[in-house]
Order: sequence, then C-alpha cells, then structure tokens
Amino acid sequence: MAEVGSGIGQSRWTNALFVAPYMLILFGLLIVPLCLGIWLAFQDYDMLGGWAGGVGLENFQNLLDDRIFRGTVRNTIKFVLMTTPAFVVLGLFLALALNNALRRSGILRTIFFGSSVLSVTIVTLVWRLVYLPDRGLLANALGLLGLPGVDLVTSQVWALPAIAIVTVWWIIGLPMTLFLAGLQQIPPELYEAAALDNAGRWRTLTGITLPSIRRTIVVVAVIEVILQFQLFGQALLITGGGPDNTTRPMVQFIYEAGFRDLQLGFAAAASQVLFALMLIAALAQFWAGRRQGA
Amino acid sequence: MRTWQRGRSLGDRLLLAAVVALAVVWLAPIIWVVGLSFKPNEVLMHSTGGILTPPFTLKNYVDILAASSVFGWMLNSTIVAFGQTILTLLIASLAGYGFARTNFPGRNALFVLVLAALAVPEQAIIVPLHTMFAAADLHNTYTALIVPRLAFPFGVLLMTQYFRAIPPEIEEAALLDRASRLKVFFRIVLPLSIPAQATLGIYTFLHAWNDYFWPLVSATKPAMYTLTVGLASMQTNFAQTEGIGFLMAQAVFAGLPVLILYLFFQRHIVSAVAGGPLK
Amino acid sequence: MADLSLRHVSKRFGQLDVIRDLSLEIPSGEFAVFLGPSGCGKSTLLRMIAGLEGLGGGEIHLGGARIDTIAPGDRGVAMVFQHYALYPHMTVRQNMEFGLRNIATPQPEIDRKIADAAEMLEIGELLERKPAQLSGGQRQRVAIGRAIVKQPRAFLFDEPLSNLDAALRSRTRIELARLHHRVQSTMIFVTHDQVEAMTMANRIVVMNQGRIEQVGTPMEIYQRPRTRFVAGFIGAPAMNFLPVAAIREEAGRVVVTLPDGSTVTTAVPTTALRPGAALTLGVRAEHINPGAGTPARVEVIERLGERTLVYANLADGSTIVYDEPGDVVLAVGATVHLAIDGAATHLFDAEGMAVHG
Repeated sequence: MAEVGSGIGQSRWTNALFVAPYMLILFGLLIVPLCLGIWLAFQDYDMLGGWAGGVGLENFQNLLDDRIFRGTVRNTIKFVLMTTPAFVVLGLFLALALNNALRRSGILRTIFFGSSVLSVTIVTLVWRLVYLPDRGLLANALGLLGLPGVDLVTSQVWALPAIAIVTVWWIIGLPMTLFLAGLQQIPPELYEAAALDNAGRWRTLTGITLPSIRRTIVVVAVIEVILQFQLFGQALLITGGGPDNTTRPMVQFIYEAGFRDLQLGFAAAASQVLFALMLIAALAQFWAGRRQGA
Repeated sequence: MRTWQRGRSLGDRLLLAAVVALAVVWLAPIIWVVGLSFKPNEVLMHSTGGILTPPFTLKNYVDILAASSVFGWMLNSTIVAFGQTILTLLIASLAGYGFARTNFPGRNALFVLVLAALAVPEQAIIVPLHTMFAAADLHNTYTALIVPRLAFPFGVLLMTQYFRAIPPEIEEAALLDRASRLKVFFRIVLPLSIPAQATLGIYTFLHAWNDYFWPLVSATKPAMYTLTVGLASMQTNFAQTEGIGFLMAQAVFAGLPVLILYLFFQRHIVSAVAGGPLK
Repeated sequence: MADLSLRHVSKRFGQLDVIRDLSLEIPSGEFAVFLGPSGCGKSTLLRMIAGLEGLGGGEIHLGGARIDTIAPGDRGVAMVFQHYALYPHMTVRQNMEFGLRNIATPQPEIDRKIADAAEMLEIGELLERKPAQLSGGQRQRVAIGRAIVKQPRAFLFDEPLSNLDAALRSRTRIELARLHHRVQSTMIFVTHDQVEAMTMANRIVVMNQGRIEQVGTPMEIYQRPRTRFVAGFIGAPAMNFLPVAAIREEAGRVVVTLPDGSTVTTAVPTTALRPGAALTLGVRAEHINPGAGTPARVEVIERLGERTLVYANLADGSTIVYDEPGDVVLAVGATVHLAIDGAATHLFDAEGMAVHG
C-alpha cells in the first residue's frame, strides 16, 4: 500500500545507497565468481590450451574416474568424521568446566582460545617441530616414558590423525566459545530449581544443561563440518598430501588442479563437488538436529 | 545445604585438575618452541631436551632480521590487514545500518542474498576469482590481496545485528532534532557502535593477517608475499634441517604480534565469535 | 483557534487498521491527553504527528500549515520518548545542543536557552554528565529539557512516566502541569493511565481500536461518558454494568428492572429511547448506597485506607462493587442491602452508545 507523508520507516530508493557499496562487492566478487565457477565446471578450459568449449559433464566424469580425487574425497570425509566429534565433545567439556564465575577460569580460556589466533603457517611450523621423529617434543615425551619415537607424519595410518590433532589444538577455541555463550544463556533459576529438586550433578547435566543448549550443539557441529571440509593449509604444509596421498584433502586437489596444472574447468568442477558435499552435510545435520528436537 | 556445597566443590576440584592438565598440554608446544628458539642450532642438532639449561643465544632472531625479505612480508601483511580492516568497517557499517534501520525497495530480498552468501566457501569461488583478477592484471598487487575478502558477509551481518539492538527512539529523537539521515548515521549511530566496530575490526585484522589460500595463489612474487605465505615458502623440506632453532625463532617472530594483539583485545575477539552471526 | 488539526487521518499496518478515519482539533496552548488501552493506536497517532510514521491517508496541520508532507525535524514539534532516547555518548549539554546546532543557532543563544531550561528543570549541575550517570528521574528532566530548548509549537509526550516509580511519577505529573502553565505551548501526552489523564489534561481524547471514543474535559468524560467503553475505562473501580430486564415509564423518566428484581429510576427521559433496544445500566461504586434496598452477599473486601471496596453478589448471581468508608466493619458472607442512586446512573444501548436526555 502506497503511503503519503514521510515516516522514517518509509521505503526510499536513496536508502539503498547505504548498502550499495557492499552489494556491488558482493555481486562482483562473490556472486559473479560463483556463477562463473559453476559455468566453468562444464567447460573445457585450461590456462595453457585456452577455452575449448562446453563439455557437459565430462569434467565431473573425469573426477569420478580420477583415483586421486576419489582419494581426496575419502580423506576429507575421514578428516571431518575425526575432527567434528572431537570439537563437539572437547569443546563442550571445556565450556562446562570453565563456565563458572566462581573459578578464575579467565586464564584457562585465554590459553584454549589463544592458539586459534595463530596463522596456519605458524601452527604447522610448531607442530612439524613437535612431530620431528628424533628431536620433536612428542619424541621427547615418549622418551621420558621409555617409548621409542614414532614418525607420525610419514605413516599412512597416523598422518591424517596427526593433522586432526593439530587442527583440534589450533581451533578448539571456536566451539568452546560458542558453547560458553550457549551455557550463559541458560537462566540460573533453572539450576536453582534443579537444586531444590535434589538433582545431582549428572542429572542436572543431562536433564537441564544439555537439553538447554541442544541448538548450540547442532550449530557447532554444522559449523565444524563446514570448516573441516575446507582442510587445506595443515595438510599442504605438514604432509604435502602424503604419504601416498593418504592425507591429500579436496581443497589441495582443487589448488593443484587449478593453480599448478592450470586446468580451470576441472578445478572448478572439483570446487562444485566440495561445495555440494558441504551443503549436503550441513543440511543433513540441521535436519537431524530438528528431528531430534521434534 | 552445606553438604551439597562441599560435594560440589570436590567434583569441581577434580574437573579443574583435569582442565589444568589439559591446558598444560595445550601450552606445551608453544613453550617448547619459544624456549628452544633461544638455543644454538648446534646444540639442538643433538638434543632438544632441557629448555631451561644454557647455553642460550639470540642468534636465531638475528638471523631472521638478516633475512631481509621478512620485513617486506611483514609490511605487506600490515598494509593488507589494515586496508582490509578499514574498508570492512566502513562498508559493513554502512550496509549493516542500511539493512537494520532503513527501508528501500528490495531490501528483504537483498538481505536474504547476503545471508545465503554466508554459505559460500572461499574454495567455491577461488578458481574463477583468480581468473578474473588475472584478466584484470591485478595479481601481485595490494588491491588483489585486500579486495576479495570484503565480499564475505560476516561483517555486514554482525553490524546489522548490532544496529538492530540500538533503540530506534534515539535515531528518531535525532531526526526530530533536524539531523539528516546521513548525520544520524555519522553523529549518532557510528559513535554508539564503537564496541561493535572494535570487535569487527580486530576480527577482520586477524583474519587478514592469517589468511593463507588467497594470498598463496594471488601473490606469486616473493616481494608481494604476506608474512603467512612467506613463512610457508621458507619451511618446505625441513625434516633434514640443521637449523630448527632458526625455524622456531621464525614461528615466535611471526606469532608474537597476533598473540600480543590477542592478549590486549581478547574480549573483542571472543565476542565476535560468540555473538556473531555464526550463532 | 485550532492549533493542531488532524483531518481524516488513517493508517494501516498490513491488514490491520491502526487508525481509522480520525479527525481531531486541538486548540492552541492546550494540554491534550490521548488515553486508551495498549494497541488502541494512540502512540501511532502521536508518531504520525511527529513524522516518525507515515500517513495512510488524511492531513495534519499545525499552526495553520500542513505538516504531514514535511520532514520530522521541520515540523516544529519536540518529542519526549518513553525511554527518553537521550544520546548516550553525549553529555546533557550536548544532548540539548544537538538540535539547536543542526539549525545553526548562534552559540550565545544556545547557551542562553540551555541555561534557561536548566534553571527551569533544576538540572544545572548535571549539564556535563552523560546519561548513564543520571537517575531515571534526572534523565526524564533532561529529555524534557532537550524538548524545551527547541521552543516547539507542540510538545509530544509518549508515555514518558511509565518508567518512573510511583512516587516520582506523581511528582512529575505535578511538574509537567506546572511546566505547561509556564510555557503555554500545545502539549500532547499519550498514556494508558487514567490517573495521568485525569490529573494533567485540559482535554482527554479517549481512543479505542483506532477510533476516538470521546473528546472532553476530564469531568465531562467521567460524568457523561459517551460510550460504554469510556464509562468502563475511566474510573477506579470500573463502573458496574448490569443488564436491564425490563423498562417502564414514570413521570417521563425511564425506570429499569434489574435481573434480581430491583428497580432503578434513571434520569434518562423516555423520549431518548429507541423502542425494542436491549439496554445496560451503568453505575459507579460511589453511587451505590448501603443500608436499604436490594439484598446482596459480600464476597470480597478490598481495603484502600480512606475507603473500602466491597464486591457483593446480587440475588441473580451478578457481581456488583460499591464503596464503604475506610473503617467499615464488615465480613465476607454478610448480607447487605444496596440502593442504587438512579439519578447518577447511565444507560447504554446494544451498540454501547450512551442514552442521554
């Protein structure tokens, strides 16, 4: 309904000027590339040979046939399955332990969150030193226990878990903080009521705390899945994808296809597969979270 | 009442012990690296135990300073991080205010688009983005390092959320005081949003400083490397290295600025994460 | 002469009619109170006058000029908001200066106006403080001061007392009345509190569901409510409404029979009645006299100090409230006899309109 007069809530073209700078950037540098990427995925286009026309699903067919790509999908999913539960469980544990105003937990929070402000380069540098088979911190610690040092990074079995450990160490602060924020939303009266009802520690946890932050748990799980699907720097810098491709993640595949081999169409197709997998995983979790709540 | 409290404090103490132990594990790699960075490489060749026993040396740090490119990288990182932070604050504040407090045709549709953009990961656009910047001949420039990050909607959503929480009455009072819409924004709303600006600013700065993938593919000339990319380029092939003290000093040198920033602005960084649109 | 004039004003929020074809004239210098339950449209109407809401239709004129088409800041109105809306990052002085600077007032004039307002409101010592350092009552004064320095044609108050505690509220009522006396500007005050309306207004505008129910002085509204809604909304305790079972005429006046069989002779002439209409009798607690009359059983006793409210059931089960002196001796379950003062009663038809002589 058209309005006369001049209420401030009134719709005006000039107000769009506030959002115009951002919208231009969003269109030019996110939406256009996204569409271009989807288009590229169906083209035979590489930097050296130039554009050789549309090829339909050929890029995707080639991906399916590519043993290395299939391996990266497997590695990435394995990595997500290793880290996401760790982030949820450990993050929740830390948040529960630190969520108490009586305790001087500030310094502990500072420690657990602190590592996440470091760049991936520094984190991998530190951990490659920790993992050094002969002189690393891990080898030293094992030595103290009388155990021989192991070379995790070159082990086909342990290299990926080693990267997962680095990743959990690096960014446990994010889930911890989200859980802390969730815990602080729980009204204290609920705990007082539970105490008056003689609920013990465990009953209070399972009966009040966990149900109250159910939504946060789902959100954390979804965020972590999305983040961990994007595994790249840690693998590239710690193992380079090896040994025998057992730690090569999808993003590294995209990086190598697009920026080393310059097969842009092929790399774009791999990007779309990654994007699709992430969306499916996130939606599945939201769906599961909602169903549980119903 | 008393027994309940005593039981609680015993359980708490056990929990605290567990968390403190975990915190020690968390800190151990950093303490170890910092400690060893002050030891001569020749000693570290044989043993990396005993970080508290002499000899100590500053040679590793002197060596970093001697490697001239590090300062250039640091300067690049500083320019990129500040540029991105200032532009993000300006653009995200304007857009956040526009979405939170003004109305214009198509506002809701555009806002849904911004929300949807949150789901787009960097990897989905990096190949075409790289092609576009190559076509414009912009790689190895500060523009290329700064601008693409401005498209991500986190800041806009954070500011929208914040502006929505400011009572509209205050702006209405200003309008009745004959302030124009732009004046309301700059004189009333922006000063009131300083806490949010600080939060978004620190968050953006850290992200820009730590960014890896895009600078890796865009800045290919060593002179244009950011610190993150530059350090990565120096650390290939070091399983056999003889200079692990030097490597450790690099980690400390590169990590120190962000850790100091973190210790000063911890509250803002944490609130960006805890109160942000990710929630 | 009418200072503020609303002509066929209307407003919709989506499907909801918030203001329906409303017209109103407020003479210059009057203290008008928009009174009504929440959701009746009174705040929306005030915001439309201020320019904070657009109009769906109609016109608003102030001081002879049409204002609904111009920007809020150009309308010559000042508003005191419910939550005061002081600029938190500015001192009290800066808060008051902001509007004056925006119209390029010379500094000596700004200083003089602020000094005058500060003296009038006794906030001289607060000028360099920030709003966060003020108490609720002080913020209230600053908000009023910010309005005064602009010397507006009309002051708009949007429930400004609702955040104050009871004692401060009644003190502020008196101060606002005093302020109105001094500045002699038109003031429009929105509230849902009938005490505020009765004590401060020259003229009360009772609103309900986007319409004006009645406009009048406080005593007109109280003594001659035009509708059943007004009768029930004004006055504490609320007016008693009793269905009328039968009517007859006695010396030209309507005599009604209530369901419990008692009869009441009203002051309403039979000529005012339309035939066949269902009627309701309205009577205030103070117009029911205990002693003789129809029997009732005491259910609840509410002691207010200077008087006592008694809720009693009539023979047909309907409840009626009347008042007794503060120190009356009475017990729940006792039987009392009540006589309704017929001359002070009101009759309402099926549409809720009062039937007057």
